[in-house]
Amino acid sequence: MAATEPGGQERLPNFIGHSTTGGLANLPEPGPNTVGNVAPADNQGARIDGASMLRLACDVGGTFTDLVTASEGELRLFKAATTPQDPVDGVLAAVRIAAEDAGLDERAFLALVDVFVHATTRGVNAILTGDTARTAFLTTEGHRDILLLREGGRLDPYDNRQIFPRPYVPRALTFEVPERIGAAGEIVRPLDEDAFVRIVQQLATAKVEAIGVCLLWSIANPAHELRIGELLAAHLPGVPVTLSHQLNPILREYRRASATCIDASLKPLMGQYLRGLASRLRDAGFAGRLLMVTSQGGVISAEEAAEAPIRALNSGPAMAPVAGLHVAAEDAASGDAIIADTGGTSFDVSLVRGGRIPWTSETWLGARFTGHMTGFPSADVKSIGAGGGSIVHLDSAGLLHVGPASAGSDPGPACYGRGGTDPTVTDCALILGILDADNFLGGRVRLDLERARASLTPVAQTLGLRVEDAALAALDILTQNMLGAIEEITVKQGIDPSRTVLIAGGGAAGFNGVAIGRRLGCAATLFPEGGAALSTNGAMLSDLVFSDARVHYIRSDAADSGAAAKILEALQASATTFLTASGAAQSRVDYWVEARYPQQTWEIEVSLPWPNTEGAVDLASLVSAFHAAHKSLYAVSDPASPVEFITWRVRAAAQLGGLEKARFRFPPSKPAEARRRVFLPKSGWTDVPLYRLDAVPSDPPASGPAVIESSFTTILVPAGGQARRLPSGTIEVRS
Amino acid sequence: MTAQMAILANRLETIARKMAHTLHRTGRSGLINTARDLSCCIITARHELLTEAESLPSHVLVGPNLMSEWMQRFHPELRRGDAFLHNSPYHGNSHAADHTILVPVIDDGGVHRFTVFAKAHQADIGNSRPTSYSGAARDVYDEGALIFPAVQAQRDYRDLDDIVRMCRLRIRVPDQWWGDYQALVGAARIGERELMALAAEVGWDTLEQHSRQWFDYSERLMEAAIRRLPSGRVTRASTHDPFPGTPPEGVTIKVTVEVDAAAGRISVDLRDNPDCLPNGMNVTEANASSAAMIGIFSSLGAVVPRNAGSYRRIKIHLRENCCVGIPRHPASCSLSTTNLASKVGNATQTAIAELAAGFGLAESGTIVPASMAVISGRDPRYGDAPFINSLFLMHTGGPGAPEADAWLTTVHIGDLGLCYLDSIELDELRYPIRVEARGIRTDTEGAGKFRGAPAGFCEYGPVGSTLEAWFASDGTVNAPLGIRGGGDGGRSAQFKRDRDGALTAVPPCGGVILEPGETLLAICCGGGGYGDPLQRPAASVAEDVAEGWISPERATGTYGVVLTGGSVVDEGSTQQKRHDLGSPSRPPGSPAG
Repeated sequence: MAATEPGGQERLPNFIGHSTTGGLANLPEPGPNTVGNVAPADNQGARIDGASMLRLACDVGGTFTDLVTASEGELRLFKAATTPQDPVDGVLAAVRIAAEDAGLDERAFLALVDVFVHATTRGVNAILTGDTARTAFLTTEGHRDILLLREGGRLDPYDNRQIFPRPYVPRALTFEVPERIGAAGEIVRPLDEDAFVRIVQQLATAKVEAIGVCLLWSIANPAHELRIGELLAAHLPGVPVTLSHQLNPILREYRRASATCIDASLKPLMGQYLRGLASRLRDAGFAGRLLMVTSQGGVISAEEAAEAPIRALNSGPAMAPVAGLHVAAEDAASGDAIIADTGGTSFDVSLVRGGRIPWTSETWLGARFTGHMTGFPSADVKSIGAGGGSIVHLDSAGLLHVGPASAGSDPGPACYGRGGTDPTVTDCALILGILDADNFLGGRVRLDLERARASLTPVAQTLGLRVEDAALAALDILTQNMLGAIEEITVKQGIDPSRTVLIAGGGAAGFNGVAIGRRLGCAATLFPEGGAALSTNGAMLSDLVFSDARVHYIRSDAADSGAAAKILEALQASATTFLTASGAAQSRVDYWVEARYPQQTWEIEVSLPWPNTEGAVDLASLVSAFHAAHKSLYAVSDPASPVEFITWRVRAAAQLGGLEKARFRFPPSKPAEARRRVFLPKSGWTDVPLYRLDAVPSDPPASGPAVIESSFTTILVPAGGQARRLPSGTIEVRS
Repeated sequence: MTAQMAILANRLETIARKMAHTLHRTGRSGLINTARDLSCCIITARHELLTEAESLPSHVLVGPNLMSEWMQRFHPELRRGDAFLHNSPYHGNSHAADHTILVPVIDDGGVHRFTVFAKAHQADIGNSRPTSYSGAARDVYDEGALIFPAVQAQRDYRDLDDIVRMCRLRIRVPDQWWGDYQALVGAARIGERELMALAAEVGWDTLEQHSRQWFDYSERLMEAAIRRLPSGRVTRASTHDPFPGTPPEGVTIKVTVEVDAAAGRISVDLRDNPDCLPNGMNVTEANASSAAMIGIFSSLGAVVPRNAGSYRRIKIHLRENCCVGIPRHPASCSLSTTNLASKVGNATQTAIAELAAGFGLAESGTIVPASMAVISGRDPRYGDAPFINSLFLMHTGGPGAPEADAWLTTVHIGDLGLCYLDSIELDELRYPIRVEARGIRTDTEGAGKFRGAPAGFCEYGPVGSTLEAWFASDGTVNAPLGIRGGGDGGRSAQFKRDRDGALTAVPPCGGVILEPGETLLAICCGGGGYGDPLQRPAASVAEDVAEGWISPERATGTYGVVLTGGSVVDEGSTQQKRHDLGSPSRPPGSPAG
């Protein structure tokens, strides 16, 4: 942690927080479902009462570590700089700021915390930077090339500059095990244990740090995988192993093997990280439950995440749509929204469609066909390197670019004065007057305008532009890049942005959020009250999730509805066990079955009303529901055909609960000035009105050009924009 | 490109993609729901190809336009709710196994605006033998395919059951065909529905105007791409192996490519080739044109949209009654998409590579190997129910390119890598077979500065029943050729392994019957290399050795790279070795390996 480094005290603090010192204006009436009223502005009761419990959500991003605290229906946001060498330092720094704010010491504060929800991109970053464990892949003899060949397929077939992807585990670290299980689970060739022990010696010689085991048909009969697990535990103790049938018992060997090897390769790193986080939190006084956000937008225990780190692979970005879903419902009464989360390093786009978060069942780490398939469904999120820390630079041909490289948290933008000399988006926003040098992050960080200008000057000179014009050009390119990412998942999926709202979250969302919404033709751009930490809010709102499945083939023309009922009873029992253990007051359990016509290989989901009063499954109505779903999705159905039911599933969500209507409480930064001088396209330096985020009028709205500011975010409302504050605290900007 | 043009182009691509997704997800045969041997596109009312997202090049570059034209010629009054089944090789289709559904999209005033097109390779089409690759068929009668020249299949959105009844009595595993037929209709109807919705939003006239602008824009891109090539005229030949019905030396296909850079035009002449052959190898008008187009579009070093606009800069010269031209009924075109079509595409792309350094491609692998056989039999696990399907178990035909190694999992020029590979588990679940092994073969890559794909292999056999497998494997004699000093890719081969493990070679074109305990060892072609292997970076060669793609001996003998300790490049010895191998005693341009 920088603050404890030699000389660190003289430098800018690497953590940024705020303290509650004053009043809040314009608080709305609490809604009927509000849990615990927000204290009046001048009431010190906003401080944490020793008797109440606290929930924390923490998202470690590339630049900032965001911490949101929830107590008595009130949310507060704190930010600390991310500490890449040891991210737990940044987490604890954020906790200390929050404790200080609550007027408690760290230990007393953490003792109040019953749930700590954590999200991190550590796993995915390790893969992108090649920083995972040296992993071996063990598979059935004769099938060494499962990871090399994948499932075929290609994008842009006429672009023959594409590089065929390397296997996730190199062939040199792939080992063929003499054994074979057949499609019915029969042992075709027994496991040759003597030969296997020789393979173990090779693994030791190769100094592998993790092992993924995926044998053909282990999903039909796991005996060989289990025996290999035992032998590895005996001969190579301490080397983490993932067995494919345990991690992800799906048909199709490539995607199962890929999931298995990705998971194994993350185990040393993520196991160490999560154990470190848990033990350091406990040492500091935390006695509650530590939960990890999954790639699917739910949470699981940290122990489960360490056992299967692939489940938490993309945990940060998966949370933004969870928050977006709530914002869209609350503020726009809209079922369709584009969620754009602009952090310091990355820009993540996701969608809400028809009031749901679209999932992708074929998740690729990286691009489709050139990345690696994770084998798990996940929230559909597109990420590019663009954010407040993105570096502005020229290429060899003199063309201006922004990102994807980021100044990160260390050294950070030039204007932070921490040794960074590359100009960044944040520097541009400062040069243009959008940011206030004296009021960045509530005044905790003083920005250095001269350093910002000096960093951008070489670029401006090469382009023959004034520094301000170069900064405008850089923001325009940033906007272009972000539009490209949004179009990747909207226009290309046939979504018409003019029928959606744009929900702009993340600390750097305000520089060009309105411009992006305009260019897309969105009905409105929404800046949620706690949008500076959008994905952390999502983590706070997410449910503890559990899913279970049974593969049992039932064909409608030889139906046995008794068997179906037995399966559902078993699923119900396992969901009940989970819910009881979770202690949640509110929960939701969904059942569905994956079904298809004979000879199809891709199923569609049909939801199942269960449990019902009859205690029996009504297969006839399931069959008609399947025909109807097939017709609606694919324009045809085959009512004369039997239907095959394959996989029966339950998903239970235990609501941590009660925070849907929770409100953010922000400190007033310094007394707001009335005007700000901003450099605008065409008109140049212009005096514009300045509003505090919590003091933006509702009716009539504030007209652009204007700047809206809080401790954590600054929104530029361009000319023609109309901004108003909604009852929820969200700022809505229409053009 | 204006923002609106970009958005509409994307919206139309999305529609084509959604159609293809529907077909892929709902098809019943493995060809469709696993290998993705399918295509969907949108054609204008003037019979111009507009959008072909993620479709197989051999299915869509040329053909949809001709089929749309024939549809209108046979059915001058098109009505909303119509659908046409079309698979005639003599009326714009590829081989008869590619069943196509065409749906005219009619506006509220009854005006035909667009046609949506969904095509998928069928496992069976009623041929005399259980295969959709009848290489030895003397003519279409011997082939035995049911031919539907744009035959009406639906009126007012309802099936005309006459056709369904005919097909059910003639096509093997009729439920599978029926399911695939429905998937085709569903895909086309999804396309129709989405196009109507788009038109309701932006208006038919806007879409019409967009088509014109999109064609003009694509033409400008094509012109610019051709202008980057040097002008010139090159004739290249590529030889197909001897098959039943060919001369004993096989069939050599000659292709003349002429680039007029100043005018921004390119032409391909296929007329100097043999007349139709008395077997199933004849290539239809659609496939001959598409194959030449594939060779061109793959060679430009720039991605240009494939549509009627960019085509204005291309001229393909074909001849009536030519085996790679316009075959006349009753010549059989059962192998139209694969065997000689590969020769046309390969000779086109190598001609461009020969003309212009940094452009073109080496030769792709050629097919149809036993790893892609049509298998059939009865499944004892399901009451001896009959099954038939075309496997996509192994294909590694990617050619070396000017700036990159081969895309490994390419079938041939006709798919350019778009087709998927079968999951072994899925194949074993669906058919009574076991796949003993599958992988790439060491030292069979097309050596080069950028290497072609290595040959692949797989071995499979029946479980508890008799299995029939049909294939038409080119490349057993004539390897995929390297270019600009690149070496040839590995050849195909096929062997039957008896119960004692002994291997016997089997003929490349025809069928074999396997009893339980017997297996078929199938080797598929690799691809040719691009550029001199002595120029391949030594570090890349070292990685190829470490990863088992090539042996240390080949690294030294072919690439001139000397390794110590198995993986570290010995810079001094490598320099010397490369100097020796590159000395004038080696004929210029010849492969080093």
